[in-house]
Amino acid sequence: MLQVQQLSIQQTSQTLIQNLSFKVQPGEILTLMGASGVGKSTLLAWMIGALPAAFTATGQCLLNQQRIDILPTEQRRVGILFQDDLLFPHLSVGANLAFALPATIKELDRQQRIDTALEQAGLVGFAKRDPNSLSGGQRARVSVLRALLAEPQALLLDEPFSRLDAKLRQQFRSFVFAQITQMKIPAVLVTHDLADAPNKDCIIQL
Amino acid sequence: MDSGLSCVAWLGVLLILGLPLLGLVPIFGAGLQASAWQLLWADPQVMPALKLTLFSASLSTILALLLACALVFLFYPAKTWQRLQQQAPIFLAIPHAAFAIGLVFLLAPSGWLVRVVSPVFAWTAPPTGLITTQDPYALSLSLALLLKETWFLLWVLTGLINQQWLMKQSLVAQTLGYTRWQAGWQILFPQLLKPLAWPLLAVFAYGLSVVDMSLILGPSTPPTLAVLAWQWFADPDPSQQLKAQSLALLLIGLLVLGASCAYSLYKLLHTLLARPKGRRKRAYGTFIFKPLVKYLVTLPFWLSLSLLVLWSLADGWFFPQILPANLGLNAWQKAELETLLLTLFIASCSILISLPLALIWLEWGNKHQAYLYLPLIIPALPFTAAQYQIALLLNLDGSLLAVIWSHLAWVLPYMLLVLSGAYQSLDARYLLTAKTLGYKTWQACLYIKWPLLLRPILAACAVGFAVSVAQYLPTLFVGGGRIETISTEAVSLSSGGNRSTLAIQAVLQTLLPLLGFILASGLSRWYARRHPGLN
Repeated sequence: MLQVQQLSIQQTSQTLIQNLSFKVQPGEILTLMGASGVGKSTLLAWMIGALPAAFTATGQCLLNQQRIDILPTEQRRVGILFQDDLLFPHLSVGANLAFALPATIKELDRQQRIDTALEQAGLVGFAKRDPNSLSGGQRARVSVLRALLAEPQALLLDEPFSRLDAKLRQQFRSFVFAQITQMKIPAVLVTHDLADAPNKDCIIQL
Repeated sequence: MDSGLSCVAWLGVLLILGLPLLGLVPIFGAGLQASAWQLLWADPQVMPALKLTLFSASLSTILALLLACALVFLFYPAKTWQRLQQQAPIFLAIPHAAFAIGLVFLLAPSGWLVRVVSPVFAWTAPPTGLITTQDPYALSLSLALLLKETWFLLWVLTGLINQQWLMKQSLVAQTLGYTRWQAGWQILFPQLLKPLAWPLLAVFAYGLSVVDMSLILGPSTPPTLAVLAWQWFADPDPSQQLKAQSLALLLIGLLVLGASCAYSLYKLLHTLLARPKGRRKRAYGTFIFKPLVKYLVTLPFWLSLSLLVLWSLADGWFFPQILPANLGLNAWQKAELETLLLTLFIASCSILISLPLALIWLEWGNKHQAYLYLPLIIPALPFTAAQYQIALLLNLDGSLLAVIWSHLAWVLPYMLLVLSGAYQSLDARYLLTAKTLGYKTWQACLYIKWPLLLRPILAACAVGFAVSVAQYLPTLFVGGGRIETISTEAVSLSSGGNRSTLAIQAVLQTLLPLLGFILASGLSRWYARRHPGLN
């Protein structure tokens, strides 16, 4: 379970977020809505431990009953998807995924895990390809696979659908939501489009 | 009018950069003869000098790259990074020769560090067995190059990492469980190498052909290749001249060799990274490592600068005193200001010619201008030798005009380098608006574009001025030893002679470009205050 308790974020004298608390159960997707500039992305930045120096925050973030807001980014086990896919351009699609896999999975298994993941995403045989040769929708799917292969305990989605056109958007949305449900991890989605929200009962307006 | 200005741009560039390339022809002609190479390889100094040169140039280039990247991965964008950025202009402005002299004052057997530890070893005179500067392995030379070039590369890197996507990639790698350090080396480093390729080549070329620093800090028996070539060029004996020409070509060969080795390493790195094993490492020992790296790149500069100033004011400072017995302006009062005035004159002329030419070139010249930066990539030695050939041909060797002309080959490219970024990012619609109001292109430039670019123009002037002040080899070579500037004076005083007089030259050599930068940024700030809409 992912919990945020009494979070406040200030920028110099201005308060962006005040006393925000929420809980997200495994397999559940919480949607945070609000116009641009209300601090949605800043909130996610705080949750992964990358709050810009101009901001100060008070409050706690717990993942599976453990405080993570005091840990460095790499130890939090919280994955994130941004608007841009941010695939590493110097690595092939397969190497991008291998980079995310834990080291405990060895040689042959690694290859197999990557192939299975690509197959699920409808990208059979894409491992050797250069990310640049993929379409926007394909790149977006690879970036989801990469985030999930690192076996995160929670996933944050920072408007990952906003760059895609309407038809692709629908497909990609259901792909991401299916993956999260299958992994049984809590997820937080930030968006300004109500249509993006998977569960209309689970929305917080910022 | 437009075609006339275009002609001016091309003519200027041809005179400054094309003419020396023509001067390379006789050097290639003589230097490529088989007999010249036989003479060269028969010389017992060449082989050890070759090893030394390759060692110091590659070591300093590679370590400077690693150190500059490490600084980014460790500190960007934290407070320490801001503080490093504040100090950077000062370290960049210190001429290589002045820094080398400062390092001698710091590291030499009679230097400040030895004085500090002398009570422990009960030394009352400089220890004779200890060779720290001018060491036979050129380690002190490599260290000086390494420190100076780290700041140059850091300056280039600062421009690159301000692109958001790079740091976001690092963040993504961190959310996948990697430390910043690992993310830096595995994700950012391989991508940074591509845009760093040309700056790195320039750093390597500089290390191969540096003469002033080698004379001050490098070994003498044998010296580095560039010093050897310079000595032979200065020798009237035709067989020595021949060897010098082959050696100058050898330096170009070494540059090509170094570039191809670097390319192979680059390919190898990408092959190694192609199959990530997924190993996440914990960050260990950063609390020791961080301050260590931070002080390694800043402390030597501050100590060197302080020692230069102290020595220029010292009135009697004997071993093993840590501080001078008395301070005074004695040495300053006796200092001759002729070289200072001449340096000022040459540097001012250089920017007065380069600036209009650079502006005209950017507007009416060729936009794709990679070859303009050739003097920054070709080792300085063959290039300067070529300039000398031309000056000789025109009977202008040893004249002030020829020295100014020789400086332009470096001043112009550096000014273009600073200007071109700002020039390209300026909104093209300003010029267009002026034209639709009925102004000709040159009028629109004069009244609209150039005033809008005044701040980058001032910065370019400061850089051009600093580049001219620091020139050693062309001043000496093309000036035929008859034109004395602060740089040539500082180097010639560095072999023996009075430390106070030497310190004064080094301080002046540092002060001039520094004052240039302060003046430029002051004017720039005043201009920005008058026009708050300017960015």
